[in-house]
Amino acid sequence: MSKDVLVIGGGIAGIQASLDLAEMGIHVYLVESLPSIGGKMAQLDKTFPTNDCAI
Amino acid sequence: MRGKKPQADELRIGVFICDCGSNIAGHLDCSSVTEYASTLPGVAYAKENLYTCSEAGIGEIQKGIKEQKLNRVVVASCSPRTHQPLFQNSCAAAELNPYLFEMVNIRDQCSWVHMEEREDATQKAKDLVRMGVSKAAFLEPQQDIEASLIPRVLVIGGGVAGLSAAGSLAAMGLDVVLVEKEVEAGGLLRRINRLAPHGEKASERVLEMLLSIKARPNATLYLGSRVEDVSGYIGNFEITIRPEGGEAVREKVGCIVVATGAVPLKPEGLYRYDGTRVVTQMELEERLAAGALEAQRVVMIQCVGARSPEREYCSRICCQTAVKNARFIKEQNPEAHVHILYRDMQMYGTENEQMLCDARGEGVRFDVFSPDQPPVVQEGKVEFYQPLTGEMVGIPCDLVVLSTPLVPRDDAQALSQLLRVPVDQNGFFLEAHAKLRPLDFATDGIFVCGSARYPANVQEAVSQGLGASSRIATILFKDKLITSAIVAEIDPETCVGCMGCMEMCPYEAITYLPEKNICEVNTVLCKGCGCCAATCPSQSATLRGFKPEQLMAQIRAV
Amino acid sequence: MLDVGRHPDIDLMAYSEVEKVEGESGAFKATIRRKARYVEEDRCTGCGACKEKCPTVLPDAFNMGLGTRKAIYSWFAQGIPSTHTIDPAHCRQLNGKKCGICQKVCQANAVNFDQKDRIVELDVGAIVVASGYKVFDPSQIPEYQYRQIPNVITAIEFERLLSASGPTAGHLHRPSDLLVEAEMEALEKDVKKSEKALDKFEQKYGQASAAFYDAYQKGAYEGDEDRGKWAEKYVAHLALVEPLDALKREAEGFDVAKRLAFVQCVGSRDFRFYPFCSGYCCMHSIKEAIIANEHERETTSVIFGMDIRAVGKGFEEYKIRGGNQSGITYVRGRVAEITEGPQRNPVVTYEDTRERKVISRDFDLVILATACAPSEGVERLAEILGIERNRFGFFKTGTSQSLDTTRPGIFACGCAHGPMDIPESVAQASGAAARAAQIVTAASMRKAS
Ligand SMILES: Cc1cc2nc3c(=O)[nH]c(=O)nc-3n(C[C@H](O)[C@H](O)[C@H](O)COP(=O)(O)OP(=O)(O)OC[C@H]3O[C@@H](n4cnc5c(N)ncnc54)[C@H](O)[C@@H]3O)c2cc1C
Ligand SMILES: Cc1cc2nc3c(=O)[nH]c(=O)nc-3n(C[C@H](O)[C@H](O)[C@H](O)COP(=O)(O)OP(=O)(O)OC[C@H]3O[C@@H](n4cnc5c(N)ncnc54)[C@H](O)[C@@H]3O)c2cc1C
Ligand code: SF4
Repeated sequence: MSKDVLVIGGGIAGIQASLDLAEMGIHVYLVESLPSIGGKMAQLDKTFPTNDCAI
Repeated sequence: MRGKKPQADELRIGVFICDCGSNIAGHLDCSSVTEYASTLPGVAYAKENLYTCSEAGIGEIQKGIKEQKLNRVVVASCSPRTHQPLFQNSCAAAELNPYLFEMVNIRDQCSWVHMEEREDATQKAKDLVRMGVSKAAFLEPQQDIEASLIPRVLVIGGGVAGLSAAGSLAAMGLDVVLVEKEVEAGGLLRRINRLAPHGEKASERVLEMLLSIKARPNATLYLGSRVEDVSGYIGNFEITIRPEGGEAVREKVGCIVVATGAVPLKPEGLYRYDGTRVVTQMELEERLAAGALEAQRVVMIQCVGARSPEREYCSRICCQTAVKNARFIKEQNPEAHVHILYRDMQMYGTENEQMLCDARGEGVRFDVFSPDQPPVVQEGKVEFYQPLTGEMVGIPCDLVVLSTPLVPRDDAQALSQLLRVPVDQNGFFLEAHAKLRPLDFATDGIFVCGSARYPANVQEAVSQGLGASSRIATILFKDKLITSAIVAEIDPETCVGCMGCMEMCPYEAITYLPEKNICEVNTVLCKGCGCCAATCPSQSATLRGFKPEQLMAQIRAV
Repeated sequence: MLDVGRHPDIDLMAYSEVEKVEGESGAFKATIRRKARYVEEDRCTGCGACKEKCPTVLPDAFNMGLGTRKAIYSWFAQGIPSTHTIDPAHCRQLNGKKCGICQKVCQANAVNFDQKDRIVELDVGAIVVASGYKVFDPSQIPEYQYRQIPNVITAIEFERLLSASGPTAGHLHRPSDLLVEAEMEALEKDVKKSEKALDKFEQKYGQASAAFYDAYQKGAYEGDEDRGKWAEKYVAHLALVEPLDALKREAEGFDVAKRLAFVQCVGSRDFRFYPFCSGYCCMHSIKEAIIANEHERETTSVIFGMDIRAVGKGFEEYKIRGGNQSGITYVRGRVAEITEGPQRNPVVTYEDTRERKVISRDFDLVILATACAPSEGVERLAEILGIERNRFGFFKTGTSQSLDTTRPGIFACGCAHGPMDIPESVAQASGAAARAAQIVTAASMRKAS
């Protein structure tokens, strides 16, 4: 049995899942295929509905 | 003894100037800044690093603390947002209190904005370093604030969202107290026939969820009960629950979930609504569940009482509901005519759009209307303006079904006041950030899910319930709550109890103690924004790490 | 994002891929390939000195090819980790040519051309799949002529044009104008070179090229080989200057795009491609139109859609505000065709279902709201994880447990199992985290007292 979790994909969904798990004290491996995390959201200028900056 | 500056001879400030490769050193003279820093009062040691954040750079800081006996550290480099935690932790690892660390940003504020002005950038970096050093002289060691956490959660509302949250919390090993005001849990699903998009019975879904919670020894259900009183704060809430006609029960919990849902609007006065021949989708659901639908010709009208000046929002779930029911009617009776009059068919996503497509294939008719020319319900027919022909068209029918939006429950406002959490302009509970913190309230320790936040279908309500349970686990899986020492404090000697600070505090962290006529900061709730300190007319409220003498030292050094 | 980089309980493995997953819920064994970056992650500080000096210029994928990057690059400026990466397909050194400049300039000694892929094995109790989506490539739709008409772009390209950190620093220059400007720049470089060559002759003979050429044409200097070369160079020079002047005149008329058309459901709700609705595109078109209008108050936008689906919290209000304050008109209908008119203006032909007419209108720029397609490599990932996909190509999730995939212990959230916006993705991500936590805490029931 292992108490760690693997998260695949470092877009906003993977980031949020990883942060929640890590804050629970669960060790997370976050695997992202691109050189940096951020996913599509990092490519967006500003995002609805709050129109604040994406990252 | 507030903010007494340590004697000059006991002050040993270390200043570390970062080249950031060529990122800083390429545009200003880091060596001359370092040399200058070493001449400043109180500075015992100044060192230039190629990369202060690299292992070697951190090693330099820690070596400095040990060998040079530094008791303050200033790093002049990049943004505190990205690097302050790293440097503070490195100081702590070398046994220097992390609050004796100060950071100066000579990258964003010097080398980046003054790229082509080497001399001026160098001068500005010196000025900023001097200011940082002056403030560092006044820094005081601080301890992080710790508070206890009760590993028990209150869930208010036993619809699918609340059941999902409660089930998940219990499965994660946290104690759960679920309070439902009705004598039966299940929320709106108790009145709904079958569930879109897959067609399972709503009642069975509720039963399944309820059974799995009842099987958990660490979940307690209070049915037919209400939350009467709430006090305390994250980690330590005290709750009073009153069962209908019974004795009040007191519970202590660490976090709270609001899952009180919403109700479909009763369209009194709209489209000749009468509850018999003109009914709501919910009333149709009840007839369908009872097998009591006789109508052969049904017209459904969307956006009844929604997306209008008095209720601007779109209720998200009514289009799916209408299509689901239209298809169900056709399935039961292929001869039936069902016609849906809509403004936009809000069938977002994969399954919904597929349902819309299938409905078209099964012979459900769709026509668009514009809000300035709404359909007219008449005896035995509904008339609407058909833009394609430019004429009014009548559809004969024996039942009219109105799709009305979900609206906040009558007692949502009262609950929001009890919990001290806000509602939005439509009366739904208002989350901390619409995009990045959809399930958190700005108030720590309280969370929201399901239609209480905004109309959600069952899948969404269930995911949100799970999500809220995760947010809570991030708090309650820890042994204690640890928050930054950078909080406000109010000097009881000088406070005159004017309560000016209380009004300014956005986090309701300040309370007034009438017996002493002073105000007091709850250090667990305080976020260190400093609003109170800026307001206090007697300078009794101060923010640790940003006290007047610390800031003044920095400003005087300009 | 930053918090991920520095959280002690997160092992960030960027530039990596899952190769194999064995075992079962509670006890999975995952094999990860950590691809060689040719830059040591623990040494690189992300300062960027290397990429300044790297001679190899390539289209920048992060900017959707609208800008350029080098063979050694960071994915984007604020990327986490900030570690740079060498593109092995294009790096000169790695392709047998002499270079290695980046290695020489790197003061942190981080460049390592001998780095190899590393294989890591992980023991995990649960898996969360958040592999997102892919933006549909609209060049498959012949009638919209994407890539044929430069001023027809996708919404995500438009995001990059709007971005202050994007290739145009946030100015809405039209791609056709950018092409002309790039051409001008190239010509100017050549002109400079040829001017230099002419300069040499002018100094040598103490005469301006134009005057010399006049005389030359009249037959002076017959048989003078050196002057013959001068004349040749001068003719070549004129052949550069004339088109450059023409382009300059054309460029004088350039302005930022102010009349925008947004075409909805490009590849979505379309049986040739994806039958489903991508959910977020109506909203991002409204958003982009609002932001464009904030940049330049005269900007007007027309959004062409079958329905305008603004179905999230505050979205309908956002849509109405956009219409009232940001110069947006909503037209119900599907765009039939896009062609190119004068001034490289795209022309949109559509049926106005209210007026019952076919109408053609020209715009400065057309933005395609492209479908949310299943992510790149989704088939392979499904195979590796041993999970099923639904009929739309996304990972299949359950009816009563809406975040559970078909294999116990593996959960999905965000666009990996269907199109959705950020708020929904974030809420679900927390939900999937809870499901994963239930599994790994079940083993060691903590805190239950
Ligand atoms: C033009 C445009 C504008 C938008 N604007 C908004 C907006 O304003 N507001 C809003 O709410 N939404 C907006 N959206 C939607 C938003 O992009 C999505 O909701 C969101 O990005 C979904 O996040 P995700 O994490 O699920 O997926 P992604 O962002 O796609 O992230 C997935 C990540 O997984 C990685 N990955 C994929 N496969 C693998 C693999 N096999 N192994 C490892 N890693 C892998 C990818 O590289 C990527 O980093 C917009 C979308 C578009 C196209
Ligand atoms: C006509 C109709 C048809 C629908 N059909 C479908 C469908 O086919 N598929 C689908 O996915 N969705 C459907 N929905 C949506 C579905 O009803 C919601 O997704 C679901 O009800 C959301 O659950 P909830 O727990 O958030 O709220 P609710 O179901 O409203 O539950 C809230 C619960 O909280 C309790 N409560 C409220 N206030 C308090 C308080 N102060 N103290 C204690 N308890 C309190 C209430 O009594 C209730 O039990 C339909 C909705 C309607 C109106
Ligand atoms: S080796 Fe040369 S081409 Fe390759 S990345 Fe380094 S500088 Fe660029």
